[in-house]
Amino acid sequence: MPDNSSRVYPSLFTRIYSVWFRHYRVYTRNIISNGLPPFLEPLIFLAGIGLGMGKYISEMDGLPYLEFLATGLPITAAMFTAAFECSFGTFIRLEFDKVYDGMLAAPITVRNLLVGEILWAGSKGLFFSSAVILVVMLFGLVPPTALLLAPFVGFLTGVMFASLSLFITSFVGSINHFNFYFTGFLSPMFFFSGVVFPLANLPAAIRPAAELFPLTHSVRIMRSLILAKPAPVLLLDLVFIVLFTVVVGFFAIRRLSRKLIV
Amino acid sequence: MTNTDIVITVKNVTKTYGGTKAVDDLGFSVQGATCYGLLGPNGAGKTTMMKMIYGKSQRDVDRESAISVFGYDPRGDELAIKYLSGVVPQDDNLDEELNVEQNLRIFSRFYDIPRRENKKRIEELLGFMELSEKHRSKIKALSGGMKRRLVIARALLNRPKLLILDEPTTGLDPQVRHLIWDRIRSLKKQGMTILLTTHYMEEAFQICDNVMIMDKGKRIIEGHPHALVRDNIEAYVLDVIGNDAAEKALRKVPEGMRQDRTADNARLYDNDVNRLRSVAEILKPGEFVLRQSNLEDVFLKTTGRQLHARQ
Repeated sequence: MPDNSSRVYPSLFTRIYSVWFRHYRVYTRNIISNGLPPFLEPLIFLAGIGLGMGKYISEMDGLPYLEFLATGLPITAAMFTAAFECSFGTFIRLEFDKVYDGMLAAPITVRNLLVGEILWAGSKGLFFSSAVILVVMLFGLVPPTALLLAPFVGFLTGVMFASLSLFITSFVGSINHFNFYFTGFLSPMFFFSGVVFPLANLPAAIRPAAELFPLTHSVRIMRSLILAKPAPVLLLDLVFIVLFTVVVGFFAIRRLSRKLIV
Repeated sequence: MTNTDIVITVKNVTKTYGGTKAVDDLGFSVQGATCYGLLGPNGAGKTTMMKMIYGKSQRDVDRESAISVFGYDPRGDELAIKYLSGVVPQDDNLDEELNVEQNLRIFSRFYDIPRRENKKRIEELLGFMELSEKHRSKIKALSGGMKRRLVIARALLNRPKLLILDEPTTGLDPQVRHLIWDRIRSLKKQGMTILLTTHYMEEAFQICDNVMIMDKGKRIIEGHPHALVRDNIEAYVLDVIGNDAAEKALRKVPEGMRQDRTADNARLYDNDVNRLRSVAEILKPGEFVLRQSNLEDVFLKTTGRQLHARQ
């Protein structure tokens, strides 16, 4: 009988890290086309808003409008990159390229594979947030200290939306169905989570609904960290993010396992 | 564990997909350093059986059923099994976003192979599978045969004790097929245990020490390929081609000669080649083929169906 006490296969860390590394390797292979957009996007946004709308809106929630926006954009960048990675990206690896089937021939489990996937999306969230913060910092819209802690909110946001997107992916039969997810859920959230205007401006009846949007909690933490204005309510936001990620991630992995182990 | 121990034991394994039994109460065992083949038409349940061995598929829960690979049950110990085994799935699921060498390098991380050893190992394997010049090629630029060889190289990275091959040569040209058979034989000689599925009887004949012929999830017959042919079917076959020729031949069949009639052709079987030859004499060249019997004939006899029949 095999001796279960001795390690007969690579450790959990190695298994998950190998999955993460596969994604990292693929991403960095095209470093220019993959790495440049996160720096360009905020530039375009700031130019568009700053030159146009910014002239009409001077202040938002006690901040110059561009600064208000600059403290929310790092979060949406993290959200969108993680969502793309774990919806379209995952679907292609799962159904078209069969990359997962190939990887599962190696000593890793489906759970290792998907956790690696989620952590990779979190890492992309961290990178995208950092890129946006760096750009807005260079424009003097946020203090340099914003680069210290705020990117980790990008990581949390990435992980949260990776779990959610994997969950959505587990239901999707055709790649076109993701359009509903993006235009029906993520885009509205972009407008109603306090990124472009404060939640206080929402009608009282809708405000509680905004609290259910995962993005709302990320934005609140990000903005407070950048502006160095911690508040006790942020702990609740953190709890929301962690719980949401764990619960949704759990069901996402369970449902996708049934697609991969048949 | 010595080489001649039993490596795989499968007992009473069934797998149901929505009411259909893809694998129906299957059992077999594979000895170390031998090659075992699952032979059967498409849809016979070969791939499903393979997948249950390395945990890509789960067998139906049943107290009587068991799978043991190196003493591990794929239900729960899939990692230990996959660490000791190399898997070549039916599809060439290579990572198209990486080149040839990167595919192997990324994959070797899953086994935690030290980086320095790894480089040498990859060189060695690309050489072994005759892909040395393709180091930096894109996956899309490879031919079907090269992709297949690369998937086999990938499966060999961790020096597996068991190699699982799902239709290793389907759709490949004869040259590549022979190269792959050659490599499989040499791996077996080194002590590797091999489990493969195929629907080519010639493949089974060439490399398998034991085969199980399967149909509709069930075991039909099992044994050494040569023994299966020797014990289960007449030594010679006369294939008669075309309706008219078949009619002509069947009218002249001597007593006691077994015959099969399909829509357009006929087959006559006998242990005495001269009796078949006497039938063939009345046929024109091109209307018949007189040959030794093979596994396909055994399959046809035991199931009443052709091995290559489309399902």
